[in-house]
Amino acid sequence: MSRTSIEQRPIAGRFRRSRTPAAVEDRTSLIGHRWFTPYLLSGPSMIMVSVLLAFPVVYAVWGSLRDAEFLGGPEEFVGLQHYVDLFQDPDFLWTIARSLIFLSGSLVLGLVLSLLFAFALNKAAAYLRFLRGVTIVPYLVSGVATAVMFRLLFNTEFGQVNKTLEFFGIAGPSWFANKVFAMAATIIAQVWSDLPLGVLLLLGGLQTIDPSLLDAADVDGATGWQRARYVSIPLITPQLALATAWLSYSTLTSLGVVLALTGGGPVNATNTLPIELYETAFLDLAMNEALAIVVIILALNAVLTLIYVQMSRRFDIGNS
Amino acid sequence: MSSRIYNQWMAAPLARRSIRRLLVWIPLAMLLVWTVLPILMTLSISFKTRADVFAAPQLIPREPTLDAYRSVIDRQGFRGAFVNSVVVGLGTALLTLVVAVPAAYAFARFRFRGRHLLLLFTLIPRLIPGLGLMVPLYRLAAALGAIDKRSTLIVVFTGTVLPLAVWLLVGYFQQIPRDLEEAANVDGANLFERIRYIVLPLAVPAMITIGVLSFREAWNEFNLVLALTQTPGKRTLPYELWLMTDTTGFQDNPGQAAFAMLTLVPFVFLYLRIERYVVGGITSGAVK
Repeated sequence: MSRTSIEQRPIAGRFRRSRTPAAVEDRTSLIGHRWFTPYLLSGPSMIMVSVLLAFPVVYAVWGSLRDAEFLGGPEEFVGLQHYVDLFQDPDFLWTIARSLIFLSGSLVLGLVLSLLFAFALNKAAAYLRFLRGVTIVPYLVSGVATAVMFRLLFNTEFGQVNKTLEFFGIAGPSWFANKVFAMAATIIAQVWSDLPLGVLLLLGGLQTIDPSLLDAADVDGATGWQRARYVSIPLITPQLALATAWLSYSTLTSLGVVLALTGGGPVNATNTLPIELYETAFLDLAMNEALAIVVIILALNAVLTLIYVQMSRRFDIGNS
Repeated sequence: MSSRIYNQWMAAPLARRSIRRLLVWIPLAMLLVWTVLPILMTLSISFKTRADVFAAPQLIPREPTLDAYRSVIDRQGFRGAFVNSVVVGLGTALLTLVVAVPAAYAFARFRFRGRHLLLLFTLIPRLIPGLGLMVPLYRLAAALGAIDKRSTLIVVFTGTVLPLAVWLLVGYFQQIPRDLEEAANVDGANLFERIRYIVLPLAVPAMITIGVLSFREAWNEFNLVLALTQTPGKRTLPYELWLMTDTTGFQDNPGQAAFAMLTLVPFVFLYLRIERYVVGGITSGAVK
């Protein structure tokens, strides 16, 4: 019974029409499509990417070269005027400097913690699944919610950080009233939010390392530190470069965390490029100038990425 | 680890072994504290009264209360923003799949003129940050009269996740053996039927990953909501939460904490079932 019932239900029965498979002889072409089918299938995606992602970049460059005499007035070509104005404005140069401080602080802390946690997770064996699950939690928390959490954590009166410092007999600072500490708190919050991807990328790299290489180093009498420094880290250079590029991309364009944590304060101490962009565009309503800031951020991003690629080439094991 | 090294390990003095063990467990403990403490403290404060936040700063609330949650839920704008977030999140996940699946199928299965160039053109915009889109898309939406609309948010968020979605799906579709489809082809299945009955059932894990990632993106997005909505009642949760923190004077700490916890609600339900998919998705998607 079983046999016949299977034969009576051929796979083809699931399909309504049974066409003559004329094109089947040609293995590269599956029937049921014309030359334009792939264009039709990928068309909607192409259009959305063009309009929503590619067009804005072109528009930003174009719009940054124009200006209106008054708000909402007709726009005219003004050349590089906005860029000249921005780079002659000491406040804007300070904003770039603060962004770079924020960036380097986040990169150092982010990479050190990513490496430390990735190496530890790589040895966690039985608990790996659980710990990796914990690691990705910040990935699910929005930037604004992250900021709310760190405002509470760093609160001068009841925050857990200052309570802990107090326990060790240290008087905790008032984090958001002091320029340096406000920047430090912002860096920590930003790194918290970005770390899951850094850790997972590096862990993925570590897990692909051939254990025999580490065994060989062990036989040669390498210490744990030496194995990490001269075997593991060079082997995960591609992942390190990717993690660096990603951390830096995310930090440089972070608006939600900074805006909700410090709002750029105290006295502009955490006023980074994204905050400047937001204020120029949506508070001062100087849209064309804001577009110039957009272009500067995009350019900075591109330059940094190129630098990381160059550096990763130099540190790659093949060249060392 | 080879048995030789294991023997060496066992032969090592006890002290050295425990030091090695500590070298792994100290960072792991740090990882736990680092990740969990901010959330734990927020959770704790969300169950306190405003006065107890100061009077009883310990982690376990003295008299746990749901007052903060009640006040947030009754807060003007919260329910509307929650509904907006749910609609926009689910809409984005759905639209992303509807647009990305055919595109990825085309790139994975067909050899057509300009295929590589078009694929690159789809993937490279992944590097454009949402921050850079704020002003141009605001002007575009304003010109089209599309400000303050959920559909605008859905379409824009879909655009920002499409490169990742197409990238993940192309890789996944390529792993599905071509023979399966050729067999169906012999049986007369047309393109739509092959996708519907062969490719999609096999690609369920990838589609769950993409659904979750695009939902998360839409649920947590702040920059573009800031740019594309202006009226109360049209915003999503992160914007409302920011407005709550952006007041001068006395801060409603338990309220903010409760709000932050409420923004995590969908992930609490999804999390345990999807952790595997998400980990795979974010690492292979690499950026963002």
